[in-house]
Parts: sequence; C-alpha cells; structure tokens
Amino acid sequence: MSEAAIEIEHLQKHYGRFEALAGVSLRVPKGSVFGLLGPNGAGKSTLVKSLLTIVRPTECRGTMLGQKIGHRPTLGKVGYLPEHARFPEYLTGRQIIAYSAGLAKVPSALAKERAKRLLELVGMTEWADRKNGTYSKGMRQRVGLAQALVNEPEIVFLDEPTDGVDPGGRIEIRKIIERMRDEGRTVFVNSHLLGEVEQVADQVAIMARGKIVREGAVEELTRKEHRYEVRTLGPVPLEMKSELESKGMNVAGDTVSLVADDANGVQPLIDALRKEGAAIREIKEVRSSLEEIFMESVERQEKEVA
Amino acid sequence: MRQFLAILNDSFRLLRARTLFWISLGVSAFAAIIYLSIGFDEKGITLVFGLIDFEMEFAKKGSKGAELLYYGVFSNAIVGIWLTWIATILALISCAPVFPEFMEEGSAGVALSKPVSRPLLFIYKFIGGLLFMAIQVTLFVVIVFFAIKLRLGVWNPSVFWSVPIVLLVFSYLYAVMVWLGIKTRSVMASVLLTLLFWIGSFVVLFAESVTYQSTLTGRGFLGTTLNEEGIEDYRKMNEMFKLPYAILPKTSETSGLLDRLLVLGDGDALGKATIEAMGRNGMVGDRDSEVIKDDLDRHSPLYVIGTSLLFEAVVLLLAMRSFCQRDF
Repeated sequence: MSEAAIEIEHLQKHYGRFEALAGVSLRVPKGSVFGLLGPNGAGKSTLVKSLLTIVRPTECRGTMLGQKIGHRPTLGKVGYLPEHARFPEYLTGRQIIAYSAGLAKVPSALAKERAKRLLELVGMTEWADRKNGTYSKGMRQRVGLAQALVNEPEIVFLDEPTDGVDPGGRIEIRKIIERMRDEGRTVFVNSHLLGEVEQVADQVAIMARGKIVREGAVEELTRKEHRYEVRTLGPVPLEMKSELESKGMNVAGDTVSLVADDANGVQPLIDALRKEGAAIREIKEVRSSLEEIFMESVERQEKEVA
Repeated sequence: MRQFLAILNDSFRLLRARTLFWISLGVSAFAAIIYLSIGFDEKGITLVFGLIDFEMEFAKKGSKGAELLYYGVFSNAIVGIWLTWIATILALISCAPVFPEFMEEGSAGVALSKPVSRPLLFIYKFIGGLLFMAIQVTLFVVIVFFAIKLRLGVWNPSVFWSVPIVLLVFSYLYAVMVWLGIKTRSVMASVLLTLLFWIGSFVVLFAESVTYQSTLTGRGFLGTTLNEEGIEDYRKMNEMFKLPYAILPKTSETSGLLDRLLVLGDGDALGKATIEAMGRNGMVGDRDSEVIKDDLDRHSPLYVIGTSLLFEAVVLLLAMRSFCQRDF
C-alpha cells in the first residue's frame, strides 16, 4: 500500500446538536489527486477545514504528512484555496501571493520569484498588478490557486477550485492539478462537479450527511458497476421479456442490459437469444459513470437515514 | 518575524485604501501647519504666519507666557481635543472592519491554514490596527517638533511623549472594539458600542474627579458652597466611584499625563508651570491652585497607565479567547 499523505482515523464535528462530521475515516495516498465528492452540506468543507485547523473538530485522530492533525509547523507544507475565497479588495494579485507567502514564512526574495512564476502558471501575469477588486470571479480563483502554491506545498487543498471559472479556465485548472501530481504533490479536491473530478482524480470518496459512503480508486469504483448491453435486430421477443426481467435484467425495446463481472456472464443471455432466433446486433460493455455511483450512494445514504 | 511583517504590511495597505485615513491624515497635517503658523512678536501673539496679530502682554516673544501658551495649545487643544478625541474616533471608525472582515467566510481560512498560531495571528492583527494612530500622531508630532524650534528656538524631544500617550488612549478603546467586533461580527455594532463605552467611562471618571475635588474645595458641582453634611455626601459619592474608576481605562488621565511629561526650557513640567503661572497672575486662588495640583498629581503615571493597561489586557484576553475558539 502506498504511503499516506493524510490518514484520518476518526474525525467528528458537532455544531450544537447538528453532526457535521459523523466519525469520518479516510486515507489519501501520497502523490495522488484525491476527490472528495458530495452534495452541498455533506460536510466536505468542514472536513478540509478541520484538517487545516480552521474549524476545531470535536474529536480528531489521525495524521497529515506523518504528523498529528493540527500540528502547526506541518501546515507550512500545505496549500489551501478556500471555497468562496475572499482576498482583500485593496491588494493586487501579486500582493495576495506575497501575503500568503509571508504567512507561510517563505523568504521575501523567493516569494517574489515564485509569485512571478505562479502568476504565469495561472495566466494572470497581465493583471498581476491590478487590484483584486477589479478582478472577475474566475480571475480571483486563479490568483487564489497561485497563492495556495507559493510555499511549494506537499499537499494542496482545493475547495471547489473551478467555482465561477469559465470552461477554458476549468481546463487550465485541470492541467495545473495534473502538473502538481506529476511534481509529486498530493492534491485534495473538494467538489460537487463530478465530471471534473472524474477526469482528474485517482481516488475519490463520496460523502453524504457527514459520512464517507463510498471510497476507492475511480477505475475500481466504476468497474465495480460493470454493465453490459446486448442489442438485437428488432425488439426482444415478447415471450423472453418476462423471463429475462425475472433474472434481474432490464429489457427495453431492442436492448437487454445486465450486470456482470465480465463477458462470461453475458454468454447465457446470448445463447438464450440465439435459441429464440433473435439476431444479435451489438454487445457493449457499459461502465457506470461516477455520477451514477454518486447518485446511487447518496440516495442509499438518504434512505438509511430516513 | 516574517509573518508579523506580512500582516503589518497588509494592515498598512488596508489603511492606504481607506479614504478616511487620508482625510484624517490631511486634517492632522493641516492642524500641525496651523500650529506652526502661530508665532510671537514684541506685542504678543501672531496667527497665520504673522498675518494677524494680537496684543498680549504676557505672551510677548521670548517670555515664559509665550512658551506656556505655545505648549499649552499643543497639549490641550491639539493633543487633548484633536488627537485624543476626533482623530481617535476617526481611527476607530477606520479600523472597525479589520476583525469582522477578517472573520468573514473565505477570508480567515487562508491565514488560519498557515503555520501561525491563532493567538499570534490575533496579536499581529491588533498591532496592525494601531498603525493608523501611530502614523497620524508621528507625522503630527514631527511637524510640532520643528514648529517649537522655529517659534521658541529650542529642540524639545519631550513632545514625542505624545506618540505613546495617544497610542495608549487609542489602544484601550481599540481593544474594546476588537472584542465587540469578534463577538458581534458587526462593524456598526462594534463602533457604536465602543463609543458608548467610552462616553460611559468618561462620565464615571469625570464624576470621580469632580466628587474628589468637591471634598477638597468644599464647593459642589455647580459651585455651591457645601456644609459638612454636603461634603460627607460628596465623599460617599466619591467612594462609590472609586472601584469603577480603578477598573476602567483612564483615557483623559492618560492624555493628561502629557502635562507632566512635557518639559519646558527651564526643566519644569508643563502642567505644574501652567498652574503656577495662573496663580501668579491671579487667575486661580491659592487654594484652587493647590487642589488642581493635587488632582494633577494624585495618581502616578504608573497607576494611570498600569490600571488602564490591565483593563486592556483583560479585554484583549477575552477577545483572543473568542477568536481562538471560533470556527471559521
């Protein structure tokens, strides 16, 4: 098993009677892009804020970069872009990065050099010396991303990083995330935009009502939900429909879909169809999208709670 | 140190972005230039760089009266009214959003996720807020320092006492405002409640001083002569005010310390020299002169500043506790 950047044994946060985090445990491998998914109010931001000491957890056991969560010097190796980041309007993009660098104890000369490089990376060189108050939402987000990287962090937490960013900007942010992974950094992305996370994350966890309801590698999770679709030339014979449905298959017009671990599981269906004289036009392996897994997991959790 | 400088730098940029800071700085500079424009000649006092002159026997050029008048205007009008009242109110209004804005969602997160502890972050932000007043007073006093050389012919470094004194007065109130700002997260509420607190404590301190003086002079608040019973009533009232007096920050007394710390050419403190001069010129009687002197000296600077700073420390600890325990 690869080394963990973050290992949460137990994380709990109560706001009065409300349980925002109900004993979360989570493992984030070092050097990976980790996506934390969940509907609004699931507790994603609270989890990240708890790791960064912005929120004081009710109970917390675990480590981050080999140190106990909350160990302050370790935060010097961490970068953070908050959701709805609000930087002072009177600061320019360059000054925001310098401010963040100062708080992270990055020496002044080094901070200047890095600011220049990071502004270029996020495509903000041209507007670097304009006030934050004049920036669009997307530009603010880019500067926010740059400030999160100024201390060359080992872990970068990005809370809804593409919030308010145009499609072109989203692609750029995705590229930056991939680049960070290539540099060996761990990137922890909080998002409710499943499509985006699916494209970039190695590992994901799905959160609902303060709990992790699903966790694993994206590849693994989508494979777990293997589905096959078999299409016939013309509709599936009526006499077969009820029989196939009774075996848990779904029949709609000329398509029969079934869940199977591999192609062997489809063979009996092919045999049955051929026996009935149905010509097979297409056999297709269909993987569940992360979105389907997400919806299913969240709904299941909602039902359990209800 | 790097973190402290980052926050200080940010505070300075915040001030530069506030229109009120520039207005206040402009008015301070204007007041200092007005002060510089006051002069003395063989007949008396001149204003607006000699454009207007008034005959004033006791304030002729080179006289003790001129020296007392010039320092008196600085201590009582400029420091006593402009810097410790009007400029302080403007500074409070300007600095009021520092903590509530910092604590808004998405704002505090970046700073709190850095390797700086919450108490240190709080202290750095608080010190950053004091910059407003520090810049204002320093600029002002530098001009006054040169004005005194120009008008009285002496370099008097004791005028620089006004910088820490005004800063102290501001810091007492700013501490209260920071606490209220953290508690309420409202700029308006913190300013209004701080001003209310200031007025309230001023009334208590004033009442303590008046009742104390009445027990000495035998004259009531409205100048009525008191009998033994009346004096006893005032003594009881004074006893009642003693505890709040001891606890509350002494803004007026702190700024009044300048009269003790500002040293004239002959080595006398401004306050003492002024009372003696008033006595010599028959402006106050011997008894009143004694009472004023007694009132001026009855609390040592250590007591005035010490008890006020103790109050400030307690309020800051409460504010820091709220800041450190809050989720952002």
